[in-house]
Amino acid sequence: MNAYPTSLHDEAIGLYLHVPFCERKCRYCGFYSEPLAHHDPGPLVSALIAELDRYAGVGSIHTIYLGGGSPTCLPLDQLTRLTEAIVSRWSVPQEFTVECNPGQTDTHTLSMLRRYGVNRLSFGLQSFDAEELALLGRRHSVEEALRAIRQAGELGFDNIGVDLIFAIPGSTPASWEHNLQSATTLDIPHISAYSLTYEPGTALDEARRAGRLQSVDEETDRVMYEMAIDYLASAGFAQYEISNFARDGFACLHNQGYWQNRPYIGIGPSAGSYFQGRRTLNAPNIRRYIERVQAGEDAYEQYERPDHNERICETAVLNLRRREGVDLAAFQRTTGADFLKVFDGPVRRYEGQDLLERGPGSVRLARKALAMADSILCDFSAL
Amino acid sequence: MDTKYIRNFSIVAHIDHGKSTLADRMLELTGTVTQRQAQEQLLDNMDIERERGITIKASAVTMAYEYEGNTYMLNLIDTPGHVDFHYEVSRALAACEGALLVVDASQGVEAQTVANAYLAVETGVEIMGVINKVDLPAAQPDVAAEEMEHVLGIRRNECFQISAKTGQGVKDLLNAICELLPPPEDRGQEKTQALVFDSHCDPYRGVICYVRVFSGRLRVRQKIRLMHKGSAYLVTELGKFRPEMTPVEEIGVGEVGYIVANIRNLTDVSVGETVTDDAAPADEPLASYQAPMQMVFSDFYPGDNTEYAKLRAAFEKLTLNDASFSFSPQNSPALGFGFRCGFLGLLHMEIIQERLERENDVDIVQTAPTVSYEIVTRDGDVHRIESPSELPDRAHIEELREPFVRLEIITSSESIGGIMKLAEARRCKLIKTDYLNPTRVLMEYKAPLAEIVYDFYDLIKGISRGYATMDYEFTAFEKTNLVKIDILVNAQPVDALSLIVHRDHAEQRGRRLIIKLRRAIPRHQFEIPLQVAIGGKIIARETIKAYRKDVTAKLYGGDVTRKMKVLKRQKEGKRRMKSVGSVQIPQKAFMSILDTGD
Repeated sequence: MNAYPTSLHDEAIGLYLHVPFCERKCRYCGFYSEPLAHHDPGPLVSALIAELDRYAGVGSIHTIYLGGGSPTCLPLDQLTRLTEAIVSRWSVPQEFTVECNPGQTDTHTLSMLRRYGVNRLSFGLQSFDAEELALLGRRHSVEEALRAIRQAGELGFDNIGVDLIFAIPGSTPASWEHNLQSATTLDIPHISAYSLTYEPGTALDEARRAGRLQSVDEETDRVMYEMAIDYLASAGFAQYEISNFARDGFACLHNQGYWQNRPYIGIGPSAGSYFQGRRTLNAPNIRRYIERVQAGEDAYEQYERPDHNERICETAVLNLRRREGVDLAAFQRTTGADFLKVFDGPVRRYEGQDLLERGPGSVRLARKALAMADSILCDFSAL
Repeated sequence: MDTKYIRNFSIVAHIDHGKSTLADRMLELTGTVTQRQAQEQLLDNMDIERERGITIKASAVTMAYEYEGNTYMLNLIDTPGHVDFHYEVSRALAACEGALLVVDASQGVEAQTVANAYLAVETGVEIMGVINKVDLPAAQPDVAAEEMEHVLGIRRNECFQISAKTGQGVKDLLNAICELLPPPEDRGQEKTQALVFDSHCDPYRGVICYVRVFSGRLRVRQKIRLMHKGSAYLVTELGKFRPEMTPVEEIGVGEVGYIVANIRNLTDVSVGETVTDDAAPADEPLASYQAPMQMVFSDFYPGDNTEYAKLRAAFEKLTLNDASFSFSPQNSPALGFGFRCGFLGLLHMEIIQERLERENDVDIVQTAPTVSYEIVTRDGDVHRIESPSELPDRAHIEELREPFVRLEIITSSESIGGIMKLAEARRCKLIKTDYLNPTRVLMEYKAPLAEIVYDFYDLIKGISRGYATMDYEFTAFEKTNLVKIDILVNAQPVDALSLIVHRDHAEQRGRRLIIKLRRAIPRHQFEIPLQVAIGGKIIARETIKAYRKDVTAKLYGGDVTRKMKVLKRQKEGKRRMKSVGSVQIPQKAFMSILDTGD
């Protein structure tokens, strides 16, 4: 298997690595992972490194994101091996994020990451309420999370983000406000606030379907979302995407690449890539993934090559999730299409309803449209 | 050919009573088709017909049959079986001397059988009773024969018992056709008169006219004249359907065949036209039969994703093949540019709509079908309107009349009560009941067409557990106490949702309608009020709540393909929508007017 050639374009390429292990799966999580106890992580890490090698020809990597699963549930030596393998292949880019499970992050891990140049941490904090954490199936305590974040700060990490989940069964606008307040008093520059999604096949979804769990009603969900936008803004966190908020200069570069529809390379089981015009999805199974990589086969089992129209639509939908919306000139440059022309119908309709806003050289969702973005974005999903 | 060896006949039957199967068997027994060719029912040309198991367009086929040492020419003229297509049945019968009235041995006489028998009697053709499917375990040929005698006056011992499926009795039936049906009159020496009983458009050869020669003859290269239209054409080809088109030099008196004569459009030659020789024309045309009456009207608008011009082109293409529906441009204040269309009946409408979408890749939003009304204005003018939106201001109306029909229902005796209750609620007046036998009854009503044209048939089917059949025929426009209901969506009146109903039902209908609309119109990004107005006064209101939350929380690298698919599906759900102001109204909302059920 030959290494992929360097991208012909001077494009900023993101690198994502998926560590498909967790101590135990959280009840809401729809991502691919398996309990670490059932596996020896060594062969998987070797396979990840082998897959990395295939991209040796890619000259420079703009951002790196090590996620999962829980990368931090790897034994320290394996996590070190993996981190070292990455940074020995590419010089550390402007942003290198590692996803941290607050219950698994100790000073050894953090200092190791710091040593190899990791400069951004994302903590899956989710909630400051012990009951909510239990309901979500999170294994860490609030105290552990706070300690891990404090330690990270002490070790010199200044670019730290936390994930929060709202509309958890039993939550109220008041309990959510408490969460927001707690998050903003941490000395961190980035917060992601996700409405709880019942992913098919998850334990939480099953419980809801069986009636064992009462989901938060739509109106309250909306209120909580609006609350997050307002509260975080007043605390100095500007919204830059549907669910993402940051202090000035701390928006996640890697994730912004997705919404700009820029290329990225995904390494590991179930990881997706958008590279050289193809969207591939790696085998979503540890054993198959390892076998494929060891045999020198492609790690992906399926791919699609979006045609021109699909690229236009993907770019539109992804761009519109950003608070800055579609940069018309950039859109024209990357897709070759005139956004206002190809989406004339929906743009006019939604502009007339004050759901889209025109800025100088841009089009974005109006504030009131954010909570129902999908009902609008669907009209940009096909031509 | 000597006319005494020619037989022209039709098969008329209720849907599913086996008309097409019988035709197939005859084609086989006469050697017209050597074996069952891949296609089951040869006479049905269009996919939709085959799918729905009905015949829409009449076709004709010529068969040769040996009987008692002579070769007979049997011309079978096919007819549609559905109530909407009476007109086509009568035009097929006009080309015949005989008709086989087919009844299913397990079902007995149905309302359509009665209606078809009336048509045959009116046309003056000889009727032969045929009881089909006698091989079925549930067959009761004697009961069916008794009903034939009781209802239709066909003697029970003269009915033929056959199974078109197995072929049992079909040969005897063919023999009987030769023996019992009258031959055409031998008027070969008279001036040429040929009846155009059907036509279709061939993309290469223009209009193909199906003709029956009543006097004289037709020859290739003859200059013919269309007597009603007054136009003349040179015959370039004559032929017979055997069943594929087979050219001949001449079509003699009494025979059936087709003419190709460089006629461009279907509208250039109307069905019922008389063809004569241009040089030696007949003195007068053949008695024409009643032109079809369009009973159901509906507006077709291009959906939000279809252009008007594309829809227009689709309509134009379709009229090449079906002259019995009409369309004209229509401009609705709420829905913009579209077309007002007239149909023979509801089934006809559904078929047209389906063909438009299937054959042209257009997205149609169709308004609820309505009947036509007759208005007498204050100054004594009488005119028809085909849509509630055309109704003038009440101040100008002296009298409002709606169409009434004679409705025949045949059902089981235990369902009489339920059907009577429904009929009463629908303003139908019982004229008579007639027991065909102790378990089956024929009910005749005088009914307002508007009340029965939409869902009535489905409802009586439900009440009678599938047993009841019905048929109807227009009788007259009559004055009734009607009012118009208007619907406002987001404060804007939507003309396509207006309806005309009897005053006694108006308020209740209006209230029910907006409840249905509330369910049919999806939530928007804003709240939508729905209001009912009668005579300008708002009598009821419902509200469609706004979307509050509809957004994917996480969308990162690995999710793009999957999320795009989800969004595309969501967009697909908006197909067949029409924007009224900022509200997108789906097709099914327009149809919610129809469902008058409780």
